[in-house]
Amino acid sequence: MWRRLVIVAVALAVGAMASGMSDYGRLIVATVAFNAIAVLAISVLAGSAGIWSLGHTAFIALGGYLAANLAGMNIAIEVIVPLVVAVAAILGYFLGLSAGRFSILYFGLLTMAVALTGVEIIGRLTQLTGGDQGMPAPPMPSWTLHRSLESRDAMWTALLLAAIVFVIADYFVKGAAGRRWRAVKSHRLASMSLGLVPHRENAAAFAISAAVAAVAGVAGALTIGFLEPETYSLDAGVMLIAATVVGGIASFWGAVLGAAFIVAVPELARGLRDVSAFGMGLAMMAVLLFLPRGIVPSVLAAGGWRRPASGGPVATAGAHKRIVDEATAGKIAALATELMPRSDKSLVVEGLSVQFGGLKALDEVAIHVPAGATVGLIGPNGAGKTTLLNALSGYVKPSTCKLMRLGDAELSDVAPYARLRLGFGRTFQHAELFGELTIREMLVLAATMGHRNATGAGGSDSAPTEIAEKIIDGLALGEVADRFPEELPFGIQKVADIGRILASRPHLVALDEPFSGLDSNETNELRAILLGMKSAGVSILIIDHAVKEVLNIADRVVVFDFGQVIAEGTPREIQDHAEVQRAYFGTAAAASSAQIAAGTETIDD
Amino acid sequence: MFDFLPIVISGIASGAAYALLALGIVIIFRSTDTVHFAIGDTGTLSVYLAAAAIAAGMPFALALVTAMGLAGLIGAATQKLLIQPLGHRRNIVFIALVVTIGLGLVIRALVGAIWGHQAASFPPMIQGSVAIAGVAISSNKLLAAGLALLAMGIVGWFFARTALGTAMRAGADDPFAARLVGLHPGRLSLLAWFLGCALSSLAIFFLAAESSLSPTLANHPLFRAFAGVFLGGLTSMPGAVLGGFAIGILDNVAGRYVSANFRDTIVFGVIVLILFLRPAGFLGASKRERV
Repeated sequence: MWRRLVIVAVALAVGAMASGMSDYGRLIVATVAFNAIAVLAISVLAGSAGIWSLGHTAFIALGGYLAANLAGMNIAIEVIVPLVVAVAAILGYFLGLSAGRFSILYFGLLTMAVALTGVEIIGRLTQLTGGDQGMPAPPMPSWTLHRSLESRDAMWTALLLAAIVFVIADYFVKGAAGRRWRAVKSHRLASMSLGLVPHRENAAAFAISAAVAAVAGVAGALTIGFLEPETYSLDAGVMLIAATVVGGIASFWGAVLGAAFIVAVPELARGLRDVSAFGMGLAMMAVLLFLPRGIVPSVLAAGGWRRPASGGPVATAGAHKRIVDEATAGKIAALATELMPRSDKSLVVEGLSVQFGGLKALDEVAIHVPAGATVGLIGPNGAGKTTLLNALSGYVKPSTCKLMRLGDAELSDVAPYARLRLGFGRTFQHAELFGELTIREMLVLAATMGHRNATGAGGSDSAPTEIAEKIIDGLALGEVADRFPEELPFGIQKVADIGRILASRPHLVALDEPFSGLDSNETNELRAILLGMKSAGVSILIIDHAVKEVLNIADRVVVFDFGQVIAEGTPREIQDHAEVQRAYFGTAAAASSAQIAAGTETIDD
Repeated sequence: MFDFLPIVISGIASGAAYALLALGIVIIFRSTDTVHFAIGDTGTLSVYLAAAAIAAGMPFALALVTAMGLAGLIGAATQKLLIQPLGHRRNIVFIALVVTIGLGLVIRALVGAIWGHQAASFPPMIQGSVAIAGVAISSNKLLAAGLALLAMGIVGWFFARTALGTAMRAGADDPFAARLVGLHPGRLSLLAWFLGCALSSLAIFFLAAESSLSPTLANHPLFRAFAGVFLGGLTSMPGAVLGGFAIGILDNVAGRYVSANFRDTIVFGVIVLILFLRPAGFLGASKRERV
C-alpha cells in the first residue's frame, strides 16, 4: 500500500518540479515517463514470469498508431486508453500462450520476429500509418479537460499514465497473480501439481505486459506528436532490454532509472553521434560490471535496505533442533483434520504400463488405495516407483492404462494441472519448492489453489492466508516463513513441501520418498507429520526406500520390482514374504525378516 | 522457375558469411552461455585494421590472417575482462547480452570516429566473375564461399578429431565435470571466444571485399546469422552452419519470388513456422524438467 502511495507522490512531485521547466525540460520528463512505462512492461514480464520479450516495440507501436487513428476520429483519450489496453492484451494473450513451448532465448527471438514484421507492416499500411514517411499524431480530445490535449499537456498525461500503470502493475506483481507467475517461472512441473496451468499463467502475464507497453505507446505518441516506423525498430527494442537490465530486473524504480538512462545519455551528447553511442555503451558495461544486478537492486542491497535474494543459509540442520514428540503428532493430526477433507475417494489403478524406448518401466501395474487408508510402496532402485507416481501426476504418459480412477473421476483423462481438482496431490523426493517464492507465499498460493477442493468436501473454509498461518504454526515453520527455499536446509524444505500439500488439501496424498535425505531427527519429525495426516483420515500413498518407516505407517504394503508388483499384503505379511526378501537381499536365505523389520535396507541411494 | 537454380547458388554464396558468423556465435554460446552481440562489430574493427594494413602495403592473405588473429584476441579479451567477471548469477544470459550490446556500441562508435561513417572502398580479392548455370557470380564471392567452407571444415575437424576440440566440447557440456578430469574451463572458454571472433572476422572480410567497408557492415548479416542459429539450434554447430546457408537461400528466394519489401517478414515467418514444429531448432536438443 505504501509503495503505491509513494509512486503517486513521486509522480506528483516530479510533475510539480518540472512544471516550471522549459519546454525542453518538460519534454525530457515526459519522454522518461513513457519510456519508464515501456521498460516496466518488459521488466515485470522478465522478473515475474521469466519471459523476455525483444518484441515489445510492436505493442508500443500498436498503442501509438491505434491512439493516433482513434484520435483522428475524434474519440476521447478516456476511451482510447482502455481500448488500446484491451486490444494489446488480447493479442498479447495469444502470443503469450506459446511462451512455454520455447526456451527463453527462443521466445525472445520469436517476439523479435513479431516486432520486425510489425515494422514492415507499418511501412505498408500507408492509409493508417503514413507508411515510412510517418504521420503526425492528431490532438487527442479529453472529456476531463473539455478540450483537446496539446503538447504542453504531454508531461502531465505521461506522468499520470505512468503512475496509474505502476500502481496497477504493483497490484498484480505483489498479489496473487504475481505469486502464480513466479511459481510457474521457478518450477513448471511442481506448479502443475498445485493446479496452475502454466501456459495460461504465461499468457496472462504477457497480456498484461503487452497492455502496459501499449499504454507507453499512447503516451509516446502524445509526447512526440509524430509517429514513424523508425521509432519502433529493433534497435529501440534492444535499448529497452538494456534499460531493463541496467536499472535492475523486476525493480519498479529500476524501470524509471533505466528509462532515464536510455533517454539522458544520448541527450547529454546531443548531436555528437559517436560520443553518444560510445558513452551509452561504456555506461552499460560499467554499470553491469560493478553493479551486476542492475543499479537499483545493487544499491538497495549495498545500503542494507533489502536483504539480498540469497542471504546464505540461516539455519543449519543442527541448529534447527525441533522437539518432536507425541504432542507434535497430535497437534499435526488436529491441523490435518481441520484442513484436509476426510477422504471418501479411493484410488484404483489397473493395467498401467509405461515404456521408455525399449525399457518397460511399469508393466501392467495394479494398485488400490482405499479411501482413508495408507498404502506403502517399496522396491529397490529402478523398480518403477517414481515412474508410477509421475504417471499418476500426469508427468509421464502411460503407454497403456486400463484404469486410473480417483473416486468417480478418471485421472488419465485430464491434464496434470487438472488432477489436484479431482483430489490428487503429491510431494516430491527433492522437495521441488518454488525458488522465487518465500515459504509463506508458497503456502498462501497452495491454500488459494486448494480452496476449491476442500470447500465441497467438508474441509476448512478459511481464507488462504489464515490457512497458511495455521500450517506455519503447526509445522513450526515460523522462523523460516519469509525465507526462500535455497536458504533452508533440505529437511526443512521437505517439511515445507508437506506444508504445501496440507495447504492444497487433496483427498489423496502421494508422497515420493519423504524420508530420503533426512537425518534421524528430521525423520522423527516427518514420521509425526505423516502419522498426524493418517489419523486425520487422508488417503496416503507413500513411496520410499526406508522400509522400516513404511512398514510402520502403512496399512498395506505393495512391493515393486522391475516394473511389476511382486507382493502385496499387510506389513506383517510383507516382512516374511520370500519374493520381497529375494528382491532386496538376492536370496531368501540370505536375509531374515528381522533384518527387514530393523530397517537395514542396504540397497539405498 | 528457370532462374531458381542460380538464385539458390547465389543464396549459398551469400549464406556462407551467415554460416561463418552463426558458427562463431554457437561456439561462444556453447562455451559460456553468452549470446555475443558484438561479434560482428569485433570482426568489423579487425577488418578496418586489415584495410589499413593493406593500404600500407601488406599482402592480402597476410592481412586476412592478421585480421582473424586480431579479432580473436579482442574476443578473448572480451571474455576475460567483461564476461568472466560477471560470474554466475540469475539472469546472467541477459546481463551478459546487454554487456556485449554495450561493447558493440563502443566499437561502432570508435570505428566511426576513427575512419568515418561513409562506406570506404575495400579491394576485392580477385576480379571477374564466373557463370554458373547461366548466372554470373563474382569470383570474389565464390572464393569467399570456398574459403568459408574450408574454415568450417577445419573447425569441424578440430572439434571432432583433436584432443583439444574434444576437451572444449566436454567443457561446454559440463564445466564442473570437465574440471574434475583436469581440464581448465577458463582457458577453454578463452579459446572458444578467440575462435568465434576469428570466424566472424573472416566473414566480415569477405563481405567487405564483396561490397565496401562501413561501421555498420556487420549489422544486417549478423542479424541473418542469428536467424540461422535459431533455425539450426543454439547449441549445434552443424545446425548453425546449415541454418546460415538456409537463411541465405531463403532470403534470396523470398526476395526474388515474393517481394523484396517483405523479406524479413517472410524469412522470419518461415523460421517461426519451423520453430513451432521443432521448438529448439532442427538440430537443437530441448531440455526437459524432471522430478
